[in-house]
Amino acid sequence: MPHPQHLVNILTGIKGATEMKDAVPLAKIIKKAERPLLVIGPRALELEIDGRPFIEYLVEIARAGKIPICATAHTKKKLLELGVTPESTYDIIEIINSLKNPEWKGVKGEGCHDFVLFGGIRTDLGNQGLSALKHFAPHLKTMTLCKYYYPNANFSLPNYRKDEEWKTLLEGLIAGLK
Amino acid sequence: MKGKKKKEAKEKIIRAEDQWEPIGHTPMPDVTDLRNWDRRLLETYKPFYAPFCDLCCLCTYGKCDLTGTNRGACGIDIAAQQGRIVTLACCMGMSAHAGHAAHIIDYLIEKHGEDYPIDLGDQVNVECPNIRTVLGLKPETLGDLKTAVQYAAEQLVHVVSSTHTGQEGDAVDYESKALHISMLDHVCMEAADVAQIVGFKFPTSVADTPIVDMGWGSIDASKPVILVVGHNPASSAEIIDYLRKKGLEDKVEIGGICCTALETTRYSDKAKVIGPLSRQLFFVRTGIADVIVADEQCIRTDLVEEASKVGSVVIASSDKACRGLQEVSDKPTDEVVKAMVDNGKHVLILDHEKAAEVAVEAALKIAPKRKKEKTALIDKAKAQELAQACKECGSCEEVCPNLQPVGSAIKKLAEGDFEPFKQVFENCIGCGKCEEACPQDIPIFQLMQAVASWDTWKCRAGRGPVMDTEIRKVGAPIVLGTIPGVLAFVGCSNFPNEIDEIAEMVDEFARRKYIVVLTGCSAMTVGMRKDKEGKTLYEKYPGDFDAGGVVNIGSCVANAHITGAAMKIANIFANLPLRANYEVIADYIYNRVGAVGVAWGAMSQKAASIATGCNRLGIPVVLGPHSAKYRRLYMSDKEEGDWTVMDGRKKELVDTEEPSPEHLATVVESKERAMVTIAKLCIRKNDTQPGRQIKLNHYIDLYKKFFGTLPDDLHHFVRTERDIPMFFKKEVKQFLEEKGWKPKPVLSLPTLIGTYETEVPIEATIR
Repeated sequence: MPHPQHLVNILTGIKGATEMKDAVPLAKIIKKAERPLLVIGPRALELEIDGRPFIEYLVEIARAGKIPICATAHTKKKLLELGVTPESTYDIIEIINSLKNPEWKGVKGEGCHDFVLFGGIRTDLGNQGLSALKHFAPHLKTMTLCKYYYPNANFSLPNYRKDEEWKTLLEGLIAGLK
Repeated sequence: MKGKKKKEAKEKIIRAEDQWEPIGHTPMPDVTDLRNWDRRLLETYKPFYAPFCDLCCLCTYGKCDLTGTNRGACGIDIAAQQGRIVTLACCMGMSAHAGHAAHIIDYLIEKHGEDYPIDLGDQVNVECPNIRTVLGLKPETLGDLKTAVQYAAEQLVHVVSSTHTGQEGDAVDYESKALHISMLDHVCMEAADVAQIVGFKFPTSVADTPIVDMGWGSIDASKPVILVVGHNPASSAEIIDYLRKKGLEDKVEIGGICCTALETTRYSDKAKVIGPLSRQLFFVRTGIADVIVADEQCIRTDLVEEASKVGSVVIASSDKACRGLQEVSDKPTDEVVKAMVDNGKHVLILDHEKAAEVAVEAALKIAPKRKKEKTALIDKAKAQELAQACKECGSCEEVCPNLQPVGSAIKKLAEGDFEPFKQVFENCIGCGKCEEACPQDIPIFQLMQAVASWDTWKCRAGRGPVMDTEIRKVGAPIVLGTIPGVLAFVGCSNFPNEIDEIAEMVDEFARRKYIVVLTGCSAMTVGMRKDKEGKTLYEKYPGDFDAGGVVNIGSCVANAHITGAAMKIANIFANLPLRANYEVIADYIYNRVGAVGVAWGAMSQKAASIATGCNRLGIPVVLGPHSAKYRRLYMSDKEEGDWTVMDGRKKELVDTEEPSPEHLATVVESKERAMVTIAKLCIRKNDTQPGRQIKLNHYIDLYKKFFGTLPDDLHHFVRTERDIPMFFKKEVKQFLEEKGWKPKPVLSLPTLIGTYETEVPIEATIR
């Protein structure tokens, strides 16, 4: 099992994320979901891939896959500037707390989500939040889109040393979701 | 256990015959006496668990896999296991304060006697609101404070025992135990700080405490330098006494790190605050300190090794942190000093007077021999040269607990761009893991010497309890909501980017006329930023407990004065008796006092118990993002939760439809979100309409500033149209119309009493 980029997130357990290096199966998994959700955190405002903000890739993924967005922290303002109105502005722990409940109405009032993608969350907070879902939300699967490996997700990208590889995967994912 | 003899024993301890107030329902509560209150709170604010570990590794049945529906070999499930770990963390935190309190009270009883009176000056009559409320005892002497701590220690034994294999097995019951022990943490903190204030004659009954120098740059390294580290001021006070006795106060520098620094500056305005916990390793490695006197809590466990590297000597002075050193308490001072000066020997001295004498005499003799080490700081050119060894392997970044881009900053430093590394230093929590991981052995902490600001800052000395007179003035506006909130910035440093972020948050809320109080390392970090005019926030805002005040309450143990201030509002303003009346007081605070704790950089188990103690009292706490690693929060289901309360005057259950306060313990990811969340968590069901208008005005204004729109959930917090702030009236009315908003029930006296099984009658909430 791979190590996370930040060793404070090292897995102390037995149930770790499947590393996903190929966009094609990833897109297929997401397409199979009935009610996916994309959670966007504030690191997406800071990170750039080849000069383009990470948040723009995430918005493209949401558009391509028709996935509703939960904007955590203060990401809402930037999303509005990009012409995107997020379906929810629950903060990261709030959305995770709601997702634990299979009876929750979901961000569109249509029922709880069965597949949740995360991007732009600080790795220690993200990995802890994913732990909450791993242990207490067996009704859904999780996936991370940051360039680091998150052990507590169901599916995670690997630790990318080079941003080009990350960019290739994200672009492949966007194409695969269209 | 309940019983007649036990009841009689409690009555004796609390001097039941004293008629200062009627005795409430829970004098000296046992572990389960407030269980129903806890369960009521946790119905609304369910424990949210984020396990660190899939396994339980606590007994030889294991390791046991607790994922999915698996249980441990003992039968425990993952939720109860988290409750168990959190309970243990709170026990650790509480025991640190209980140990501190027990020690300092014994030390002061040795000096002054058990009957030494508690006198906190002419402005503080309600001397120990936590002890009054929890035990039902009105402490009059140091001996009474000892009694309070002994009771808490007995409860600790019961709670720790519940974590043994095959004991408690329910997550919520574990949480109740964590809440119980954390309530007692505030009792112990109060006992410790009140003992210190009376025993050392720290400032009390005064708001305008001295402004003291802060920063490593404030230390005159040409003099002998004594560094005091930790939390217990016994040794540092003795050092100051010795310096005074020998006329050496101006000839020897004494500076502190962590809470001992705050205590020391309460004792002498010549002492300096070097900085918070995060600067400990950095400062030790500068070699400026000749002698380091360590007491207890938050001291680096490798302090002796680190001191040896730069030729400093360590005196350990606490039985809780002996560090493998030889005890020399009974050896002649000259002999000990000689061994330290000639051989660099580190020692354990458990006699504080002796430790002080040795520290001063050793510093005087060692300093002239260490001139080279004390001035061996590296300059920018040398830092740039050393940085060039970096191979960009990334090992330093992998191990950084604060996720800092250490490696890329070193690479920039090697190219002559110092700014990124300076930023890394600003955000550094001071653990040293990066240097340990570096395969090139780059002395990263030495590089920091070249980028660290050697500027000096100002910190207001801690002031202890909020004065009764201040409570009389602000009680009504706080309860009515016209002072929008009391915010307590507490805890350790330096997660996530605390120095910048705490100052920014404090400035924002002080400007908005909230009351801002600070303790511990947060109280120091807030002074480490200056405005354009070169003023720190302590110089910019007054130190009064009033709208727009920025108040340094004191060290970690002074946190009890924050919960104590909330209790005093119930007592002094609302005239509710404190005595053994915990449920009524907590219910009052929960429904009426818009207080919020902010533990932005929290790291320790003490922070866990301090926060959990606030939670039992109905005070919500906001934590920084890394604090998800505390594993447990108390979260509501927001608008979908059950927000029914009792209308105390009508004795009717009312569904308020208002999620206030929305969470009891929550983590947020950014300072922007924190500010919005803090403003929202100040909302209370009892707010008057003008008060609610003011609170919503700040909530809306901050939300618009950081998120760009009106708050999505605004309609949940508008009870009637008269709650709408004038400034935003038009757009809010339009928003409410779009949301299909309807007016909510108006309450005359919101209370949780009567919504769960309790012996407390609803009438007890009315005065």
